[in-house]
Amino acid sequence: MSKMKKMILVLGIAVGFVACSKEDNGGSTNVVSTITVKDLPADTIIGITPGAPPTGGFPYGAGRYTFFSLESNKIVPASDSASNKWDLAFKGTTIATNSGNSGPGGAGAFVFVGLFDDLKTIPADSSFRVDNAPTAFAIPTGSNRAWYAYDGINQLVNPIPGRVLVIRTATGKYAKVEILNYYKGGTTPATTAPDAVKLSTQRYYTFRYTFQPNGTKTF
Amino acid sequence: MMMRFILPLCAGFLSQTLIAQNNNAAQQKDTLIGENAITVFTATKTERKLTNVAVPVQIISQKTIQQAGSLRLSDILSEQTGLFMTNGFGTGVSMQGLNPDYTLILIDGEPLIGRTSGVLDLRRIAVGNIKQIEIVRGPSSSLYGSEAMAGVINIITDKSKMNTLGVTARYGTYNTADFGLKGSIRNNRINYQGFANFYRTDGFSIRPNSRERSIAPIERITQQHQLGYRISDRTQVSVSFRLNNETIKNNITVTNNGNAINSVGYEKNNDLNTTLQLAHKFNEKVKNTTRLYGTYFKSIQDLITDNGAPYVDEFRQSFGRAENQTDIQFSNRLEMNVGGGYIHETARSTRYDNSSSVKTNRIGYAYLQTEWKALEQLTLIGGARYDHNELFAAAFSPKLALQYKINPKLSVKASVGRGFKAPDFRQLYLNFTNTAAGSYSVFGSVEAQKIIGELNRLGQISSLEPAFYGLNTLKPEFSTGFNIGIHFQDAKWSVSANIFRNNIENLIDSRLVAYRTGGAQIFSYLNVKNAFTQGIETDLQYKLNKTLSFTAGYQFLLTGDQAEIDAINAGKVFTRDQNGFSRRMSRSEYVGLPNRSKHMANFKILYSKNAFFANARVVYRSRWTTTDTDGNGLFNTNDAFAKGYVQLNAAAGYEFKKGLSIQGGTDNLLNYTDVINLPNLPGRTFYLTVSYQFFNKNHK
Repeated sequence: MSKMKKMILVLGIAVGFVACSKEDNGGSTNVVSTITVKDLPADTIIGITPGAPPTGGFPYGAGRYTFFSLESNKIVPASDSASNKWDLAFKGTTIATNSGNSGPGGAGAFVFVGLFDDLKTIPADSSFRVDNAPTAFAIPTGSNRAWYAYDGINQLVNPIPGRVLVIRTATGKYAKVEILNYYKGGTTPATTAPDAVKLSTQRYYTFRYTFQPNGTKTF
Repeated sequence: MMMRFILPLCAGFLSQTLIAQNNNAAQQKDTLIGENAITVFTATKTERKLTNVAVPVQIISQKTIQQAGSLRLSDILSEQTGLFMTNGFGTGVSMQGLNPDYTLILIDGEPLIGRTSGVLDLRRIAVGNIKQIEIVRGPSSSLYGSEAMAGVINIITDKSKMNTLGVTARYGTYNTADFGLKGSIRNNRINYQGFANFYRTDGFSIRPNSRERSIAPIERITQQHQLGYRISDRTQVSVSFRLNNETIKNNITVTNNGNAINSVGYEKNNDLNTTLQLAHKFNEKVKNTTRLYGTYFKSIQDLITDNGAPYVDEFRQSFGRAENQTDIQFSNRLEMNVGGGYIHETARSTRYDNSSSVKTNRIGYAYLQTEWKALEQLTLIGGARYDHNELFAAAFSPKLALQYKINPKLSVKASVGRGFKAPDFRQLYLNFTNTAAGSYSVFGSVEAQKIIGELNRLGQISSLEPAFYGLNTLKPEFSTGFNIGIHFQDAKWSVSANIFRNNIENLIDSRLVAYRTGGAQIFSYLNVKNAFTQGIETDLQYKLNKTLSFTAGYQFLLTGDQAEIDAINAGKVFTRDQNGFSRRMSRSEYVGLPNRSKHMANFKILYSKNAFFANARVVYRSRWTTTDTDGNGLFNTNDAFAKGYVQLNAAAGYEFKKGLSIQGGTDNLLNYTDVINLPNLPGRTFYLTVSYQFFNKNHK
């Protein structure tokens, strides 16, 4: 069990740091920039329930969402969860929006199939969904439904390429998000990696997003 | 062998054939020169000279099997062009790029049963008493019914024309031991052939720090008896019996989220095959054969986990068949084979809804084949078969083939045929929840709607997936196969090339159909996919002189799913660039079906002088994709691949004067291993075989 304690300790420290970087859209007349967020923790695993399946043996985290503001590119403390300060909240593979019964905001989302760069304008007739947790999130949960495919044989979560999460923020502005990776450092472990590695590095999101501050649907 | 006497071949050739055959048996003549004498049964369900067969057929001779030091069927097949052995649920064979499910395995024309997840474990079959292995490529369902989609592998057992008795003993790496006893008695009326084999191995583990072995310790005992009685010159009756018992020691570790559960126990498999055959020749032109065949397979896995939880998995299957075939020769140019039969098949398993309920299927079928020698150089074959199934839709499988002999050395063959594979009991009735790995469930198509409906009523289903609404009565899987080949042969060279294309429809695949509350997944089977395999198989043999010859084989293979290709061409499929950003995937990145190598090749050097022989055999497989790691749901160059590899095997032997021979060999001399993708391939192994022939007399 001491190994497990060590792992928890490491994870605890890691949660404190989130690296964010900005990249310039050099030359473009567009003022919006695309930001890549690295290693955003999303309820990282702190243990495995005792026993064997189906009653035990399941990994678990602390059960807490990580709240994130696209507008400020910052993690929002959980104490502000009942406010408009956050847009998306991450817990495991679930991404909640500040909408419906998830939060007081006016957020919404839908999944666009295509390339991030190809989505220049959100079509006028798009309909944004709102959260109705736990059964129906604006960004649907489950493998092969929204942004990821679960490889059950190797127990790995792979973001599906060509999926863009189109977001209406809590304050009614627009953003587009592409999930790039679900593992620490932005690299999915090899299919052959030990379970311990797959468990300790998962639930760290790397994603890029473009936020349009002027309220239009054009990026 | 009785058929050789009855067979309405051109009378002039008959005596010649017999003489050549005797030479073959006595002297183990080289296959190249002896080819004219080789007869093949599988291609037309009647005995034919190999050179007169219109579909692609390959023969592996007894000598080839012996000199390769093969013990199990998988050993020798793995060295043949275009075939590769699959791992998982035993060792299966993939032919023309199709899964093991689609190749029918026969012993003396009768099908073997006992497939796990569609795979028939070829290690169950000992090769010590095989006269030859006949491999027919392309759909042969027009004669053989279900499963003959990619092709047919028919194991023809030895039927000696002499009184013989011989023993063989072999010992090798991993305490692998093999003992064989083979004998035959023959007089004018009665012939008997017997074979017994004992095989054991400690197994091996190439996986470090694991108590689970890649190949578990195994003991197998096989016995086979055949008794023939010639009632008259026109009528012969024969019975055959085969029993294979194997015990596999299990020591299994299932790891789930780093949590290891160990189980120990054993797995016992038994398979029994019995045949009764009556052949009667009404006159020179009409022959009738009645065959009654019964086979039974039983598999029991009995495990206990470290914390005392028992696990028992049982599977029993039976297959009974009555078949009658009439061969009519209207003239030297026109022959017809017409037949029909009835199959009664049952299965029960702890993995079905109720282990005591027996699932049954009944099939009635009829087939017709006509062979017409339109010209001296041109032979045409047309055939069709109709299978009426109790459990699912009927299947109709027609076939057309032609052979044209341009000159005595050069001939072309072309065939088109339809093959099918009936849904198996697992796909219909499975009711299995894997508590050891995430509690996912798999329900057969007959069960799925019923069970999920009931769970839904109890509030235990959180969502139904789109595939749920596609659940329907399963249809057989169909393939249409096209083969065009050319064959050249002279005293030194034998060269053949065959282009193939298989269009497969209605492929049955498992799909996620629902989630339970709590998130566990439920899968079932649907006819969802279409796929194709295409490529070219080439074989080349060159005989430098009496002592030295070379063979080389190569297969180029492309596979794919037309729906996936359409999606790629429409720009709807994506992958990722080096930054992890999505980009469109191009057609050239598409790999097709997983676990297929684009290039496979083999090269063999065979040396033989007087009583001595030596050989070196190289088998190559290019890389193959194993896992969709970029999440786009299909296989492309951005996914995980197993490395290509080369395996080198070598053997040498010497035959002493008085019936004693010795043979030594090594497999995988280059010691290539791949723990993840080739768990069944041990490192370098060695063996030594001693055999002794007590007597080997021609009866008078």
